[in-house]
Amino acid sequence: MKSGKRRRRTLWLTVAGVLVAAYFLAPFSWLVLTSFMHESDAMAVPPRWLPDRPTLVNYATFAAPGGTRSIVGSRAAENTMPSIVNSLVAATGTAALNLALGILAGYSFARLRFPGRSTLLFLYLGSRMVPGIALIVPLYLVIKTLGLLDSLLALVMTYLTFTLPFTIWLLKSYFQGIPRELEEAALVDGCGRARMMLRVLLPAAAPGLVAAAMFAFMTAWNDYLFAVILTSSMAAKTVPVVVAGFATDVTTERTLMAAGGVLAVVPPLVLAFLFQRLIVQGLVSGAVKG
Amino acid sequence: MTARVIGRRLTEPSFAFLLNVPALLAIVLLVGYPIVYSAWLSLHHYNLKRPRLFRFVGLENYVGILRSEEFWSALQVTLLFTALGVVIVVVLATLIALLLNESFPARGLVRTLVLIPWAIPPVVNGLMWQWIYDAKVGALNGLLVSLGLLAGYRGWLSDPTSALLALVTAHVWNALPLAVILLLAALQSIPAELYDAGHVDGSAGWRLFRHVTLPWLAQPLLVVLILQTMLAVRVFDLIYVLTAGGPGTATTTLVWQTYLTTFDSLDFGLGNAYAYTVSLITLGLALLYFHLLYGRGEFEA
Repeated sequence: MKSGKRRRRTLWLTVAGVLVAAYFLAPFSWLVLTSFMHESDAMAVPPRWLPDRPTLVNYATFAAPGGTRSIVGSRAAENTMPSIVNSLVAATGTAALNLALGILAGYSFARLRFPGRSTLLFLYLGSRMVPGIALIVPLYLVIKTLGLLDSLLALVMTYLTFTLPFTIWLLKSYFQGIPRELEEAALVDGCGRARMMLRVLLPAAAPGLVAAAMFAFMTAWNDYLFAVILTSSMAAKTVPVVVAGFATDVTTERTLMAAGGVLAVVPPLVLAFLFQRLIVQGLVSGAVKG
Repeated sequence: MTARVIGRRLTEPSFAFLLNVPALLAIVLLVGYPIVYSAWLSLHHYNLKRPRLFRFVGLENYVGILRSEEFWSALQVTLLFTALGVVIVVVLATLIALLLNESFPARGLVRTLVLIPWAIPPVVNGLMWQWIYDAKVGALNGLLVSLGLLAGYRGWLSDPTSALLALVTAHVWNALPLAVILLLAALQSIPAELYDAGHVDGSAGWRLFRHVTLPWLAQPLLVVLILQTMLAVRVFDLIYVLTAGGPGTATTTLVWQTYLTTFDSLDFGLGNAYAYTVSLITLGLALLYFHLLYGRGEFEA
């Protein structure tokens, strides 16, 4: 009797799970399927859901731009791979610096008492209240004064300041969840503070660090507004800038854009899938407790 | 933590301050200074098309904004978009997080698939939905017509109402994973003893949800509300690719209006005043949430 009820419950949960999965999967799989089609099939009415003559020609265009077919917007195709490299550098740099600065500041909030502690934390979080568009003009001038226009360093610095408040807050909460005794034991054993952090605290905080790094990476990877204003050449243009370039150009072939879109998504998607469990774990003891 | 542990030369406060120097430097230089500078600009007449006419005008730009039709129209669009987006995201995210916290076959797979939209830059998201909504070859038209739900193809982005709803739909899909992850993490941190205590009391199902789960979720929900409101108020990339504020001004939000004023009309004074107005509205909404949730004393900070 009871097991029948439980089985029905599991069935309903599974049905709901399938619906949720379909909702998140469907729009993206349409993009992926389109990227394997010939242009004429992608423009068919009614739409063909599956490519019946699957092709890699769209991806080949990115690998050898200009060679396989002459297309309008081939400049964008040419720039896609270099822009992915730029995005990887900018996002990884942002994530790494976030951890370095976030660990220091987060530790101070988690473990030390000092005057102005809550004011400072409020200041960090308050800096995120201002929307990016309010900062863009003066930020452009600051970056220009520093002589860093059109450089990946400028992007890393910009994204760093946007992501740092959340990182500090998350790591502060995560450190607070780690028993103090662990550190004190290490200190009594004669470890210096720096060695204690490296050997004891940071390994214990690994999920929090992964979650913080991932959020920073995603923010940096996704940004369009700052990248388009602060960069002007392939020295620093990131994926969203290049993709937006052909998205707003009506002459570009749709299947080619789809392939470009998929390429732009692969690196963050791989990271998200790899670290899914750690991201949730990192938040369990971190952000949600405030 | 005693002074001995910290070292002989540094007191606890100065050590704490030292740890904050790098973060503070970065934020003061790249956020603090720009905030002050753009406030200063917003008090000036400053149009790049006529840069010589740079002069201090006090609050004139703000008065101009409050008197303009564009502002009130954009405010209305922003509030409507934000309200719809945030309510839908929070409700769906809560339901999905509750589901993913139960055990059923392939739960791990579903948890992974939920992350897909999170990894998609808004620009790519806009591109993707643009084709889904396409009037001639779009998937939405194709799907609805083949299911017999729609008589003929429609231009979803050329009608004011459906364009706004299309924008909300695309935004919700993109913004949902973040909310789901945060709420799922919150659910997983509920101590099992709380539920055990609930069971002993004889509470079950809805009552358990009402008296154990919901109070525990109050604070994470506040975090999600604030994050999602800021995300929705700031939507830019998606509008840029999908609707460019149109048709007409149907999807022209305050941020889009700020962009037009600053980079289209090159009116930096007015543009910065717009940007400041958006900041104040965001801040106002955040304070409102705090007041509503903390004010009632339903949970402790």
